[in-house]
Amino acid sequence: MRNNPSPPGSLSRRTLLAGGAAAAGLGLSGCGSLATTLTDKTVVRQWNLLAGADGAVMTQMHEEFSADRPDVELQATTFGWGTPFYTRVVMGATSGNAADIATIHVARIPSLSPDTLLDPIGLDEIEEAGLSPDDFPAGVWEKCFVGEDLYAIPIDTHALVNYYNRTVCDQAGVLNADGTLLETQGVEEYFDLLRAVKDVTGEYGTSLDTWAGWRQFWAWYRQQDGEWIFHDDGYELDDEKALTAIEVIYRMAEEGLCPQVSDGAQTAANFENGVGGLVQVGNWEIVRFRAFDEAQGLDFSITEMPDFFGNRRTQGDSHAYILPHHNSWDPDVRRATIDYAAWMLQHSFEWGAGGGHTPAYLPVTESEEYQSLEPNAEYSGVVENVQFDPEAWFSGSGGRLFTEVSEVLRLVYSQELTPEPALDLMKERVDELVALPNPVD
Amino acid sequence: MTTETKTPRAGDAAGRPPSTTAPPTREKPKSWTGLWFVLPFTAMYVLFLVWPTILGLYYSFTDRSLTGRPTSWIGLDNWTEVFGDERAWDALWNTAVFTVYSAVPLVVIALVLALLVNRARKMGWFLRMAFFAPFILPVSVVTMIWIWMYQPDGGLINDFLQNTLGVQDSAEPTLWLSDEGTAMWSVVITTVWWTVGFNFLLYLAALQTIPKDVYESSSMDGANWWQQLWGITLPLLKRTTALVIVLQLIASLRIFDQMYLMTGGGPNRATEVAIHYIYISGFEGYRIGYASALSYVLFVLIMIVSIVQFRLFARKEG
Amino acid sequence: MTTMQERPRTADSDGGRTIKRNRRRITAGSAIVYASAFVLALVWLIPLLWALSTSLKTETDASLGQEIRWIPPEWSLEGYRTLFERGDHLVWMVNSTVVSTIVTILTLVLCVLAAYGFSRFDFPGRKFIFAAIIAGLMVPPQALIIPLFDIVTTLNLGDTYWGLALPQVVAPVMVFILKRFFDGVPRDYEEAAKLDGAGHLRVLWSVIVPLSGPIVAAVGIFTFIGSWNNFLWPLLIATDPSMMTLPVGLGVVAGGYGLFYAQNMAAAVLGALPLLIVFMLFQKQIVKGVAGVGLK
Repeated sequence: MRNNPSPPGSLSRRTLLAGGAAAAGLGLSGCGSLATTLTDKTVVRQWNLLAGADGAVMTQMHEEFSADRPDVELQATTFGWGTPFYTRVVMGATSGNAADIATIHVARIPSLSPDTLLDPIGLDEIEEAGLSPDDFPAGVWEKCFVGEDLYAIPIDTHALVNYYNRTVCDQAGVLNADGTLLETQGVEEYFDLLRAVKDVTGEYGTSLDTWAGWRQFWAWYRQQDGEWIFHDDGYELDDEKALTAIEVIYRMAEEGLCPQVSDGAQTAANFENGVGGLVQVGNWEIVRFRAFDEAQGLDFSITEMPDFFGNRRTQGDSHAYILPHHNSWDPDVRRATIDYAAWMLQHSFEWGAGGGHTPAYLPVTESEEYQSLEPNAEYSGVVENVQFDPEAWFSGSGGRLFTEVSEVLRLVYSQELTPEPALDLMKERVDELVALPNPVD
Repeated sequence: MTTETKTPRAGDAAGRPPSTTAPPTREKPKSWTGLWFVLPFTAMYVLFLVWPTILGLYYSFTDRSLTGRPTSWIGLDNWTEVFGDERAWDALWNTAVFTVYSAVPLVVIALVLALLVNRARKMGWFLRMAFFAPFILPVSVVTMIWIWMYQPDGGLINDFLQNTLGVQDSAEPTLWLSDEGTAMWSVVITTVWWTVGFNFLLYLAALQTIPKDVYESSSMDGANWWQQLWGITLPLLKRTTALVIVLQLIASLRIFDQMYLMTGGGPNRATEVAIHYIYISGFEGYRIGYASALSYVLFVLIMIVSIVQFRLFARKEG
Repeated sequence: MTTMQERPRTADSDGGRTIKRNRRRITAGSAIVYASAFVLALVWLIPLLWALSTSLKTETDASLGQEIRWIPPEWSLEGYRTLFERGDHLVWMVNSTVVSTIVTILTLVLCVLAAYGFSRFDFPGRKFIFAAIIAGLMVPPQALIIPLFDIVTTLNLGDTYWGLALPQVVAPVMVFILKRFFDGVPRDYEEAAKLDGAGHLRVLWSVIVPLSGPIVAAVGIFTFIGSWNNFLWPLLIATDPSMMTLPVGLGVVAGGYGLFYAQNMAAAVLGALPLLIVFMLFQKQIVKGVAGVGLK
């Protein structure tokens, strides 16, 4: 199944408008070969995987970019999130026909065989476009390097966060006086909170995506300081901690505190129509919930993931721009491409405000305007608490580790597997991955 | 690549040759002239069919990667891996399951439709159109429509089951494409709707060649419709049925499009079929060498079925 | 309905008599046959009608969780309009047309030439080459995608019309079919043309091809439909959306299609249209062509 972070569901007028804008934006670019021959502008082709609500924000920004750079024609295309997108980047780069620039997840860089499939980016190039290495948080910046070469420009950090419906939570008595969600310590306290919410909704406490269980798993596992280190011929996984994390998942679904089956669309819809009083999902869904709020009313805010094991760590990743390998670059296109990336970063306040992501570009996040942005400020701590996926060529958002583990956890949510056999199956699947010869090193 | 799952193997015999009996007499003396006529096709044939066949075999002994890293000879490693690869055998098994699930309705429904249309001749044009039209639609159009109908909440099919028939609890909608128990069937239903028209036309054509007097004489003997069906019609359709089944078998072994678009091989690999696994190994996993070895296993299987088909045709040729 | 007046096309010579005789015993039996055939046909059309109905609704009416309504409560071309604004649908349609046309023309030219060569000439290696091509009937193109992708990208034909079209041109089955037909065409006409001083190509073009009109047409139509509907090969070789064919573009490019059902179904309806038109135009040839597979 497509692991789309935010596919369909009931629609609001606002989303429609946003979608219309997205559609119109694509129209500009869609004419591909026809347009290329008809225009004397410099054509920059961009591929992305932002099929969710943040895609509409990106499209909005693309329109502004196009207005700002009349001599550049930007052709952006959105592919299905995850594997379909990454496969296309790799196949395109193999034949030298990929887009000029693509958005990817930083944790996926190793899986893209940088030395053969990506083109390195010169520091002088980005400086010419007005960016500097100091503009980025050191941690993310370093992840963009392979050896000495820079292969990516980070766009943002995004993570699993906890949305709560104020109306429902207020009735359940789980809000502080200032309207923020009660802080809990440990699994039991949070389960109690969910029980109170469940009593109000009559259905679930929290909604979550049972098709993308990796995210929950990695958050709970990392909250226990669990490490997952991969070698050439095996891996070290802390079985006990992994089992604890899976048990949390199992028990939550068993008691009906969260759905046993819910895909991306259902997950968001559950929150919108009040079937769940909270939802643990990516910060990018903010676009969708805001639109719903405007259309039908939804009083919500966002906080970090609950503290289950002594901290509020969460699973996340960073979007970044990469340049897929070209057999040859037209210097004008190359310059316009880097300039596009720089423009998008310099305007990434919009990306944060509209898409809920925390921009990687420090001049934006350090600005006063951004610091006072709500509800972004309420979950600003995720940037420190975000846990990237383990390092392996099959890891990263939408990667094979993500897919395989999520597939097993889906069966845990649906109660078809109890935690122990689930852990066994999970390890069996990961053994298969490790056994594969590494095709990218 | 002209033949995919739903493409007719042969679009021939729109007209019969004016004289089928005259043995071809060739210009006696051997000359090079004829070679020029066959050369263009043969060149393309060598480049896009013979060469990839050889190249694929060569790759299956290497660790060639999609990422363009240097390739080295690894002997039989890929082949030993294939035979121990459970996922590969699961994919073949799923292919077989799909074949069995879909073959029966594709034969039976096609036959029933053909029998009906053969008798309801006044609506012939409309009926042929209704049953055959889906067959010529592009696969993504078909899957788009069916994914929309299969939507668990508010999709046409679940709505029908809940509100019209009342056999489904709206709190527990059937998750057609994402439940392991129903995903394969969902793809099968879509495929039957899509492709049964082809078999239907085959049967209809065969029915229309059965001379009327065969029925007339048996009617005089007092045989009723049911007895005629089993005694006359079905035996006379034996050859068509054999053809339909073989064509179906070959098409099913090559199945990929519907699964790729509708389920992505899921849930839990329940609909992952052979070609899809080749695609996953080669293009998603970058392992061109290994995927080539996998291809060869499938290649041989399809070859065997094709030889059966070939003999079926050849027999009546002779 | 006008369709009712159509005479059954494939009725055999004594069809008229049969119908008359049937009429004599119009019974409950045939009423049931007509009724059930009609109902089944409607059931078969449901998916298409439902897609059409959805495509003519507003996005709000089309979204999930709405009551099922066959007649749109509010008629709207919103879905179609957004589709045209996006524009890529049109690009894919053009690409499909270009690719399928190249494939059809090349297949016809190459296969007719080859079939004629095999049918009328003896030349060194004839038996061997023909046998090799017949063996190709059994090779499943889907099992060759991996090396084929490699070859086409090495030739630098990735994301080009030629890369999309050329591998589809290799259709041994068409050579086989055409050769068998040509074998049955009597020589007398050719001899006459040759006496008038016509060369081989001229004989082929002005004598053989016209005599083989129906079969050449059938090969052409089926090649076109097959190429238009090919999914796997263009999926691999067209990486950029501007080079995608219609089936691949619809299946792969996400942008909004997943979210908006009216638009989604509008895309499906428009995607279905070209071949439905081809089908209407060539219904007779297509039906006969399929029938031919079983009757030969």
